[in-house]
Amino acid sequence: MEEIVLGIGITALAGALATVAGAAEDTESDIGSQGDPNSQVQLAPQMGYIHRIFNKAVSGEPPAYGLWCAIGAGVAWAFLQLNYNPALAIILGSIVAVFIQGIYCTSGYLGRTASLAKFKQPVYIDILKSLTSVTMAHAFVAIFCTTAVCYLMSAALHHPFALPLLGLIWGIALGAAGSASGNPFYGKERQYQNQKFGAGVPISASGNIVRYAEAGQRSSLDNGWFTTKFAGPASGICFGLIVFLELWRTVLFEKSIAGWGAVIAGIVLILIFTFIDRWIEVWGRKTYGPYTEPEETSS
Amino acid sequence: MSALGGKAAGGDGINLTGTIVGIVIILVSIGITAVLGASLIVPLIGIIIGGALIAFGVHFVPVGGAPAAMGQAPGIATGVAMLAAGAGLAGLFGGAWAYETTGDFLISIIGGAVGGGLMMAITCLMVNATYVFAMGIPAASGKVAKDPITGDTFPEYKSQGTEGHGLPFISFVGGVIGGLIAGLGGTIIYIELLNAYSTGLATMMEAQATAIQPLAISLAGIFAIGFFLVNAVLAAYNITGTIEGPHDPKFKRVPRAIIGCAVASAFCGLISLMLVMNIGM
Repeated sequence: MEEIVLGIGITALAGALATVAGAAEDTESDIGSQGDPNSQVQLAPQMGYIHRIFNKAVSGEPPAYGLWCAIGAGVAWAFLQLNYNPALAIILGSIVAVFIQGIYCTSGYLGRTASLAKFKQPVYIDILKSLTSVTMAHAFVAIFCTTAVCYLMSAALHHPFALPLLGLIWGIALGAAGSASGNPFYGKERQYQNQKFGAGVPISASGNIVRYAEAGQRSSLDNGWFTTKFAGPASGICFGLIVFLELWRTVLFEKSIAGWGAVIAGIVLILIFTFIDRWIEVWGRKTYGPYTEPEETSS
Repeated sequence: MSALGGKAAGGDGINLTGTIVGIVIILVSIGITAVLGASLIVPLIGIIIGGALIAFGVHFVPVGGAPAAMGQAPGIATGVAMLAAGAGLAGLFGGAWAYETTGDFLISIIGGAVGGGLMMAITCLMVNATYVFAMGIPAASGKVAKDPITGDTFPEYKSQGTEGHGLPFISFVGGVIGGLIAGLGGTIIYIELLNAYSTGLATMMEAQATAIQPLAISLAGIFAIGFFLVNAVLAAYNITGTIEGPHDPKFKRVPRAIIGCAVASAFCGLISLMLVMNIGM
């Protein structure tokens, strides 16, 4: 019984850390323009729209975070083998990982922007100086929290995988969750704030991203300010739920019904999420209504 | 080629010459395994089946890529290989854990499948929550006029100048099925490799099986992730960009991916099993 209570406590802590990690990951990817919406940041100068948005899609978010979290967890594991305090080891691992992230950011921004030279897009050194450290700070929070989650899974819940392997797995899952929930909000709602609300961006508007703020030109910091209102927390809830429920169903039910308890709990959870999704979909259709009459479009 | 407005290269059909070459590669891989270590044939076949399952599962996952991030196309706004890897690896995490605690093959692979499905269910739910509650955009498919499961009609919900947006119910179900199958395939590969390494490494190093267990688990885990990425990337090449789920016409290309991934898994499986083969060195 004590073991289960401890397990549930660890699960709750891991879920909370994962929520913070998801929110920080998405905010980092929006300030640094890491995900799919960066295609528009890259496209804009080619369509004649010169901008001051950070432009670094190093790679897709999942492999990028897989790499950084694996480095963080790997270095932390090495320090743990030297009998360092776990908190210190995780912090040191995250620091090493975040410097590598910073190197990728710098070369990503310089390389991507330099490739736009023939479209007259300048490389702004002040952007590099002011924003790289901001993305590094957010990445540190994301990597630290994910590595801490992996440490809890490995040390407290006795998952068979080694810490660096868990870092790779959950880094990829973190990037997948963050990019899935966060990208549409950054891409459509922020970069195309000049388009109609409640409709997708027409393909003809591609590249015409918003480049001006209330005063002066829009900076990627403004994008971070905007996306933390929804995309960050949504990504945090997404990754937090994934980690929490995955651990919860195993810790609580793995020994019941001859080992099938965790499987049945997982299936019940999937069905619950399916019902919620269907409710959201129907609510959206009823609330926003059709754009055109059904008869017109069918002709 | 779709970025240039041209037709995607390669049709939906199966290339006969390529298939024959692929089958020969599979048979040669199995033959080499039979000669060098007959007991490793079952793990190799498990790996081939697991690889084919991953390829099959990836085709169910609705992925919209960059256009989905602008609400220009339906699906989840990230890459095919990455999302499938995220779901499948979450499944692998659950399956490996279940195998450690229960030691039962069936419970572990189904546990892995449910782990992948649960990850996709949560992710797809949050995608729809973002579209509906934050962006005010209802779900609409661009490839079909009616949802095959719910019967919802889409053309009147599609905003002007787009190919659809959000995740219709059929895409949600496809995502969950994709996560389930990909998690299943990944866990089968992991358990087959783990069993092969546990016994093989213990014999080679003349150590006790319990002492060798952490090494065997780590090696099997790393190789299972590697297999996952090989198969997910190959399947993503077959999809070429975006897919809406099982109702998408591109889904018909799935046999080609299964053959391709079975061939790749057979050859990669041979390489991974060579670690514990008696090759006279």
